[in-house]
Amino acid sequence: MKPGLFVPVSRGARIGLGIAFFLVFGAAWWTITAIGAVPSQFLASPAETVAAGWQLFTKFGFSYDVGLTVWRVLGGFVIAAVIAVPLGIAMGAWKPVEAFFEPFVSFARYLPASAFIPLLILWVGIGETQKLAVIFLGCFFQLTLMIAMIVAGTRRDLVEAAYTLGCSERGIVRDVLLPGAAPEIAEALRQVLGIGWTYIIVAELIGASSGIGHMITDSQALMATDQIISGIVVIGLVGLASDVLFKQLNRRLFAWSHL
Amino acid sequence: MSRLSIQGVGKTFPGVGGAAPTQALLPVSLEVADNDFITILGLSGCGKSTLLRLVAGLEEPSSGRILLDGAPVAGPGADRGMVFQSYTLFPWLTVRQNICFGLRQKGMAAAEQREISDHFIAEIGLRGFEDHYPKQLSGGMQQRVAIARALANSPKILLLDEPFGALDNQTRVLMQELLLGIWERERKTVLFVTHDIEEAIFMASRVVVFTRRPGRIKTEIPVPLPHPRPYTIKTAPEFTALKARLTEEIREEALAAAA
Repeated sequence: MKPGLFVPVSRGARIGLGIAFFLVFGAAWWTITAIGAVPSQFLASPAETVAAGWQLFTKFGFSYDVGLTVWRVLGGFVIAAVIAVPLGIAMGAWKPVEAFFEPFVSFARYLPASAFIPLLILWVGIGETQKLAVIFLGCFFQLTLMIAMIVAGTRRDLVEAAYTLGCSERGIVRDVLLPGAAPEIAEALRQVLGIGWTYIIVAELIGASSGIGHMITDSQALMATDQIISGIVVIGLVGLASDVLFKQLNRRLFAWSHL
Repeated sequence: MSRLSIQGVGKTFPGVGGAAPTQALLPVSLEVADNDFITILGLSGCGKSTLLRLVAGLEEPSSGRILLDGAPVAGPGADRGMVFQSYTLFPWLTVRQNICFGLRQKGMAAAEQREISDHFIAEIGLRGFEDHYPKQLSGGMQQRVAIARALANSPKILLLDEPFGALDNQTRVLMQELLLGIWERERKTVLFVTHDIEEAIFMASRVVVFTRRPGRIKTEIPVPLPHPRPYTIKTAPEFTALKARLTEEIREEALAAAA
């Protein structure tokens, strides 16, 4: 086939190309460190980073930190989702509810969750509550607005068809708005989970005695850039893994929207 | 007594952004008897669809009232089934689930739902497609399912808003025959909106001709052709005479609208 715009590539080629850029990136990184362009105390080489990562997991019990960070992200995210999903649906479906909440939620969305960290530390200390609260603040408002917008965008002709089939208002929310918006809501959840990952590290950098972010601050004090970088890589890998899992789950749950 | 009584029903839409209000439909009166097949013929934008939406209860009349079996219409309900020009099957439901949608809203037992959906799936000739999703069907098939979905609810009157308008000519002719066959067997009261003259005659026991916008009833022409009507009837002298007359009526309106 002639190459051109929007022509899809095969599955194998796509995976190959995706891996290729990781290799290019790794090679560039290796070159910079190998020729000494940046002193190794500021930028560890790929090999040193891998070795440091191995050590972190085998000697320093890093898996405990990773597990804790994952738990914090999921905990705060689930709490945010449990409230944001019904609220967003109500805002999308009923205009007075939207008029009541939307201005505040839109305002709150622009408040960076990280700016609340000092305040949250004063309020609830540096324990788990503070981490969950940061994730919650970072995810909740964004998620609510996205879901409200998705539900408000429900096709009107489907709603009208349901009405002419004898559907009540409640029936329409349950049997038209919800199933119709579900794939996009799941997609919004996936994107916002990614936002949660960026906030947890900030929360752990500022005040924590465990977690990936805490390990990174500790390593900074020791000038251990190899450990810092492996920590960052681990965050990227866990984020990527959760993203792929989420995507596959969505595909399986909402097969009809991928026909 | 007539099944549907439209008494001086008009509709004016409020102007948007300081614009003058739009008069879509001048007050019209129409009596529809039980088992009548009425087609409403008119130019695009003449208010014929508005009248149908008023009967469906999707819009409120600015004047007049609509009675169904003597009871005033207030909002949409299962007693008036509707088929839209756009494809309004629920994309997350299979063919069978779509047909059962209204029955499920009524809380009908699953066995009974199955029996009714089996009957209508056979009626529209889609056996073997029960578990297909709408996206896997052609436009004509989707509209057939939409008709079955409306009929399964056993409405007192079936409202069709240019249901075959988006189909190619050949498919449209087949769909007309299919719908007419169903009507001959099921004996439903039907209000069918179209801008296709041949379609209006072929389907109807009476053709109601609308004027250009703002619409009102220009004339009503009975179609005394016998049933069952094979497609060959379209070349019969009685048919072509009706067609010539309606072509004149519509042409007059088109010329006046263009002037």
